[in-house]
Amino acid sequence: MDFFIQLFTDPIGFYNQHELLIAQIGINAILAIAIFVTFYSGQLTLANAGFMAIGAYTTVLMSLYLPTPLPLNMLVGALLAGVVGFLVGLPVLRLRGIFLAIATIGFVEALRLGVILNVPITGEGQGLKNPTADPLGGILPILISVPVLTYLVWRLTHTRLGQAWAAIREDELAASSNGINVPLYKMIAFIISAVVAGYAGALETHINFFVDPTEYGISRTIQILTFAVVGGTTNVIGPIVGALFLTALPEIIRQASAYRDVVNGVILILVIIFRPQGIVGRGGLAIIAPRWWTRWRSRERPAAAH
Amino acid sequence: MSGLLQLTNLKRSFGGVRAVDDVSLEIEEGTIFGLIGPNGAGKTTLVNLVTGYVRPQSGSIRLQKSTGTTELARRPPHTVAGLGVARTFQTLRLYRNLTAIENVLAGMHLRRRDDTLQQLVPIAPLLREDRRRWQRARELLARVGLDPDKFGDRQAATLSYGDQRRLEVARALALEPHLLILDEPAAGMNPAEKDRVRTLIQQLNQDGLTVLLIDHDMRLVMGVCRHIAVLNFGRKIADGPPATVSQDPAVITAYLGSQAQKSATHVPGSEEMDVATSSPASTEPASPLLEVRDLAVSYGAIQAVRGASFGVAKGEIVALIGANGAGKSTILNALSGVLRPHAGVARFGELDLTTAAPDRIVRSGLVQVPEGREILARLTVHENLELGAWARRDSHAAHREIEALMRQFPILGQRRDLPAGQLSGGEQQILAIARGLLARPKLLLLDEPSLGLAPQMVDTVFEVIQKIHNDGVTILLVEQNALRALEIADRAYVVETGRILLSGTGPSLRRNPEVQKAYLGG
Repeated sequence: MDFFIQLFTDPIGFYNQHELLIAQIGINAILAIAIFVTFYSGQLTLANAGFMAIGAYTTVLMSLYLPTPLPLNMLVGALLAGVVGFLVGLPVLRLRGIFLAIATIGFVEALRLGVILNVPITGEGQGLKNPTADPLGGILPILISVPVLTYLVWRLTHTRLGQAWAAIREDELAASSNGINVPLYKMIAFIISAVVAGYAGALETHINFFVDPTEYGISRTIQILTFAVVGGTTNVIGPIVGALFLTALPEIIRQASAYRDVVNGVILILVIIFRPQGIVGRGGLAIIAPRWWTRWRSRERPAAAH
Repeated sequence: MSGLLQLTNLKRSFGGVRAVDDVSLEIEEGTIFGLIGPNGAGKTTLVNLVTGYVRPQSGSIRLQKSTGTTELARRPPHTVAGLGVARTFQTLRLYRNLTAIENVLAGMHLRRRDDTLQQLVPIAPLLREDRRRWQRARELLARVGLDPDKFGDRQAATLSYGDQRRLEVARALALEPHLLILDEPAAGMNPAEKDRVRTLIQQLNQDGLTVLLIDHDMRLVMGVCRHIAVLNFGRKIADGPPATVSQDPAVITAYLGSQAQKSATHVPGSEEMDVATSSPASTEPASPLLEVRDLAVSYGAIQAVRGASFGVAKGEIVALIGANGAGKSTILNALSGVLRPHAGVARFGELDLTTAAPDRIVRSGLVQVPEGREILARLTVHENLELGAWARRDSHAAHREIEALMRQFPILGQRRDLPAGQLSGGEQQILAIARGLLARPKLLLLDEPSLGLAPQMVDTVFEVIQKIHNDGVTILLVEQNALRALEIADRAYVVETGRILLSGTGPSLRRNPEVQKAYLGG
């Protein structure tokens, strides 16, 4: 409760005390936007942790060895994630549903175990010290990026591109009968998602002193997936709300923070059972009403039709 | 030459099945072209070949427009769509969670400027174009008879079945096509809705659109098409104006079975009497084993069975015949507990079939052999039969019965250790029937046992059915191959659009011209 009291009575003190939490929420919100783009086009891809790693390592390595300015390093990190996304997408996007999910997890693990832990320049298993780390100054770009990216992706879902994505998500066969080039638009979504995830990885290194390879494994991927599932994917706000909710929760319930993964798991199961469309459904934020409840209510009312 | 679409020697097989076998067609510009044929004839495969969903193994598909001729074969679906060939799907494929307007807007994909980047910063002139597109989508909805004010913002999945069909047409029209392919647009519709579909097709054609119509409803096809091609087993068996095609002996045989011509030409004068003797009262059994009254079954908004009444007495073979989509299989599924009827009575002895659980129904002796056979392809013949006896408590007796069945049907005995998927269609059908017998049926429901089988295999399957009947099993048979079914049936009911149209003894119905009408349209 103290958490909320302070949030409303003393926002500046709250900000100062919880800066790292706020930064983490921002990073997770950007990751949520990344997974939203692929979800919106009907693809269950779990490669985001890998693209994050590419963004993070590229930024830090450039800071270590090149005289280039930090913003450029971050941009290159994000774009390189996009290039890798294109190359990975070529074979992988032929797959659908759970097979696509497994293949993209495979990519994440291959990148971590095969490349990061074996190539000397990445510090192998040791990780890398980040020379440009700036925990406090790094928050500002995050706080600016979240609303800008949210706005752009929200607009994107209303364009010709976004409509094509929605059509592909609803029915690929029908989409191609409407002249939509399904492989092309899936690839565009996959690359945009990779760039955004790579950018989140680059931003994250900026608030940490250290790039830790264990951060970019399956559990991170699953965490990002949870944001999308809990928040809902009909609307870009959904995954962001999911990220906010799940990142802040361990802080709100201090006792539960030791059981973070357990709590997340329970929330995930409850959402899937009682509100499969996520917290933010098509009609915006809605009260959580289980399906049996609405069925029971509609039975009480006399059936109008028939 | 004004042929808009030309197919030449088109071939495609799946495994060993020749789905489309050397078909050549020419569709004139501005016409309504009908493509008909029994179930499994290859109609939908042909549509998929033209629209790029399936690649032909050989042959060519040429689209001739004023701007030149294009080869469509081996092009991806979105390219074919871009060339002006729009289609609807046999099973509705709407964007179910999008609104009606959004569905049509997605259909406009190729016919709008790509302004994705400009749209990121919405300023007034761009929004004006948005509104123009919106207006166009509303016009398309109105054109197919959907009131845009009433339905425009409704989620597609919440529309009634007929409206969903219409919305799919509107979405296809958004492509501004030269050729519109409608794959069973009237399937599952009631007569009033079918009339609206007919009017819509005629209107679209008057506006200059060439239409390729695939449907099972002969009244619809014969009514609107100027030219019809008939497929059977992947081959084109007839091609011409409706009047010629409906009299073509090959077509009548394909639809009604091999005995059709004899019986159909047998009628002079005697039909009045036949109809009279086949009035329901004269042939209904007094104390039926199975009694069905006013049965009604729906799939969501589609009412598939609208009040069917019939009975089966012990020891009979009773056939339900009728064209595809008439509701025959739905009746069987409602009896075996797979579907739940929403009204009516169905009693099997003492058991109320409308509420009993499917396993309870099977144990009481009512056993269904489903359409499409549903055998387990990777298990051997013997394993399939063992699974059929799985629910039996007396496993020793069941094993003896399996051995007895192997002797009774040598086709199965010789192939006992072969994966069932390697059997031919007819052999699989016999396996499915044998599996049904292991549940010790008093009444066996057979759903389309001759579906997709070559003629000589049909004979074998019907021999098996008669053999089982002689062993004391009562049989309720659903068949499209009407005349074969009427040959072995004691009594039969003709089903049309979810109702019993006629009933009578097998021989009387075989001579009845109404039966042919129910299949081939009046």
